[in-house]
Amino acid sequence: MQERDLREEISNIKNEAIAQIMSAKDVSELENIKIAYLGRKGKLNLLIKELKNIPGDERKHTGILINEAKNTLIEQIVNKKNAFKESARKWFDPTIPGHKPIVGHLHLITQAIREISKIFEDMGFVRVRYPEVEWDWYAFGALNFPENHPARDDWETFFVDALPSPKYGPMILTPHTSSGQVREMLMVKNSPIRMINIAKCYRRQSDVSHVPMFHQFEGMVIDKGISMVHLKGTLDYFARNFFGSERKTRLRPSHFQFTEPSFEIDISCNVCKGKARLPNGQGCRLCKEGWLELGGAGMIHPTVLINGDIDPNNYTGFAFGWGVERTYMMKSGLEIPDIRLIYSSDLRILRQF
Amino acid sequence: MDLLIPDNWLREFLITKASPKEIAKYVSLCGPSFERVSKTKYGTVYSIEVTTNRVDSASVLGIAREASAILPRFKIAAKFVEPKPKSKQKTTKSAAYLKAIVDPKLCFRFAAVLIENVKISQSPSEISKKLIGSGIRPINNIVDISNYIMLLFGQPVHTFDYDKIQNAKMVLRASFPGEKLTTLDGKTHRLPGGDIVVEDGSKKLIDLAGIMGGENSMVDEKTENILLFVQTYNPVNIRKTSMTLAAGTQACMLFEKGLDTEMVEPAIRSAIDMFVNLTGGEPAEEILDIYPHPFKVKSVHTNIDLINQRIGVALSKEQISNTLLPLGFYPRWSGKNISVEIPSYRKDVSIPEDIIEEVARIYGYHNLPGKLLSGEIPQALKNPLFAFEEKIKDFLSGWGGVEVYTSSLVSKEEAGNNALKLKNPLGKEAEYLRTSLMSSLLRAAEKNSGITEPFHLFEIANVYLPQKNNLPQEQMTLAGIFADYSYKAAKGIVEALLEKLNINYKFIPEDLRGFLPSQRLSIKSGQIELGQFGVTESGPIYYEFPMKNLQNYSDDFHSFKPVPKFPAQIEDITLTFPPKTKTGEVVQSIKSADKLISNTELTDIYKDSYTFKVWYQHPSKTLTDKEVEAIREKIIKGLKSKFGGILKSG
Repeated sequence: MQERDLREEISNIKNEAIAQIMSAKDVSELENIKIAYLGRKGKLNLLIKELKNIPGDERKHTGILINEAKNTLIEQIVNKKNAFKESARKWFDPTIPGHKPIVGHLHLITQAIREISKIFEDMGFVRVRYPEVEWDWYAFGALNFPENHPARDDWETFFVDALPSPKYGPMILTPHTSSGQVREMLMVKNSPIRMINIAKCYRRQSDVSHVPMFHQFEGMVIDKGISMVHLKGTLDYFARNFFGSERKTRLRPSHFQFTEPSFEIDISCNVCKGKARLPNGQGCRLCKEGWLELGGAGMIHPTVLINGDIDPNNYTGFAFGWGVERTYMMKSGLEIPDIRLIYSSDLRILRQF
Repeated sequence: MDLLIPDNWLREFLITKASPKEIAKYVSLCGPSFERVSKTKYGTVYSIEVTTNRVDSASVLGIAREASAILPRFKIAAKFVEPKPKSKQKTTKSAAYLKAIVDPKLCFRFAAVLIENVKISQSPSEISKKLIGSGIRPINNIVDISNYIMLLFGQPVHTFDYDKIQNAKMVLRASFPGEKLTTLDGKTHRLPGGDIVVEDGSKKLIDLAGIMGGENSMVDEKTENILLFVQTYNPVNIRKTSMTLAAGTQACMLFEKGLDTEMVEPAIRSAIDMFVNLTGGEPAEEILDIYPHPFKVKSVHTNIDLINQRIGVALSKEQISNTLLPLGFYPRWSGKNISVEIPSYRKDVSIPEDIIEEVARIYGYHNLPGKLLSGEIPQALKNPLFAFEEKIKDFLSGWGGVEVYTSSLVSKEEAGNNALKLKNPLGKEAEYLRTSLMSSLLRAAEKNSGITEPFHLFEIANVYLPQKNNLPQEQMTLAGIFADYSYKAAKGIVEALLEKLNINYKFIPEDLRGFLPSQRLSIKSGQIELGQFGVTESGPIYYEFPMKNLQNYSDDFHSFKPVPKFPAQIEDITLTFPPKTKTGEVVQSIKSADKLISNTELTDIYKDSYTFKVWYQHPSKTLTDKEVEAIREKIIKGLKSKFGGILKSG
């Protein structure tokens, strides 16, 4: 077949198809037209088979023409389909509810731990975990707690009914992740330390804001020349990444046995934006003067460094240990009336997160 | 320690134009935390929290002194006014009106004075308003004076009815175990021993020192002469007594923190002034003051470089001195070195870091800039266990599992054999450290018995395996429980997990307590048991793996298998088997019938008919129908001889 003829034929087929599309009455008629012209054995595809008989350049031009014709027809068919009223369309119910797989859930605490550890790992902190059942020495003695300190009473700390260690004293359930401080120092020795210890802790109290088993995350940095300014910078970085870029932290005086100086860390309130007043002029009920208490921190007490075999004349450091539950609730704005509910096994609660 | 301080009382000793709100805001930034400023009908009252190391600021005077040092940092002038008692009595080590024998290990300073002819009445409203504002109910002028002095100085004061002290004699000693004493609230205590007590000339106990006075020596409406009593006790004894008797009086809260012996004299002199003014009492000419080891000034030495390096900000010598002086510290410079004299009331300050704290907090922690860590990155490597745990949690929750965190503390029945026991549990249901997660998860499933659709709960947590003369081995364990899942669906999740972790495993039926007979599988790799899976006696399906087993047998890297170039022949074969045929073994048998069988799955069961899908695959060619037929024959022959399986025709 001559090339000119082919061009004419393409144009004829196209026009013929368009005429048929225009007069089609419903979707099934359009489907038939589509098969007749665009199907595998449709009229346009049959023409493609003839291309091989045409020389070089001409072949290319003709190929382009066929493709253009195809595209025009596809477009016309789609337009026509969309122009049909509901009754002439093929029935389909896009609103039908989906068939969901069984949806699983990670626990709130797991989600919190992941977020927290990620931020510290970005700053070169290495995640660790130390014993939950611990000797008194690591939990208290090494941390500069005097022998008669109230935290060492069986009133606040769980004691295990086991023989005490001649060297490390009674066996207890650790009341804080700080018991990992001296263990980490003894393990890592003098090299710089950036540790994030996230673990279960236990205290002998149970009420709406306390649960006997809970989680803490403990950060500890030891290096040459570490100062309060580094502590502030690290916590600012955490606060901005965890709570939001506009949030700020503030240090206030506090007291802990194992840090000197000790700080209470506040974070600017997200409800009143740190202004202590709401836009309607009322005082903010969530915070105190635009600040919320986040947790404790401090510069590591020299006695603690010595107990970890680290020379306090060469090295300094800071540490902080906060509750995972409280920190995460502060971020999410979750208002859980009783913190013990976090540890409920009730699926109606677990599936909310 | 929480205290309430009325604003007008504070301003008697703090001269400043700062508003109550400014005082609260600024002092909180650098010192004790002002929790609230409340307007009451007795005036503005501050609620203040003082940290336990700063008992010196747990008083009107203590707060005034802190505020006077802090407010000028916010450009508000403030001045601390020390009380100037009028009492000019001399002090003496022995007085005619009281023969006192004092154990110096229990009482560091013992001061007392006789005041005669007191007239008991109501206190003037100026006094009672301050007491009410501070949260203390006014009683009468005598009791009110004691409370007033305690709130003002942070130094507890006691008054005895002098005439009830037999033979005007006191012995201050440690109690013997079992001694009895009735305190002025009418409660009779059987003393544990080692408590500080005072006995009189008739050897009666008349005071539980530092905690509460005795009923038999208390001031009543007939009292005419009183003995005013101001002491510093050994805090360790006070704390022990207050813990065992659960007596949380304000006096013992102060004493157990360790008080300043130097505060005794201004406190007793101020109290004498008040007795003169409010009761018309006549004080004796001498104050009995037994003070065997008077206070000696101590100094702490450090230098400017250390101070600035620890704070991270460059302060001048003058700036440093100006923060220390208003707090009562006396700094002396010698070049870069500083020697700081510590006032008697600051027992918490003893090392350079304590001085650094004082300088930094008055300079203002809120003024410190933030700086990111620089320096060498630690060499410690990541512990891969954490990522491994998270991976498993993601798989299981992705397949519909719900993660739980159950308590490590369980009842004796739930704990397993030889579990560690707590000495002081909160209750019987949380008395032991669990050695398995099974009972906790059964309990968690039980808690959801109202849920009608199937569910799968899982947990990764430690179990605590006791070891002789050592801490228990804390074994991180994965466990899960299925309720209303079909056995196949539950087992499929465990199989999928093991396959995802690239663990080479096999299931071996092995009975064990806690599971139904013949319904438990031991999951093994070689001879090693990795974990277990099965139907529990109470119904739900349970699995458990020590994490270290999964980690040790999991292969991080899957070896690469080339994609076959030729299509596999796939066909379904249906056979019937006699009852009690183990299908897992049948599948194994098909798979091992010929090396050209690349996969086999059980796809359908109908009555005694089992349909298996079989993949025939040659690595380098397409198998002909004839070749497939030969392998199929082999399979069928094997199944017939091993299991009695018969091919279903058609």
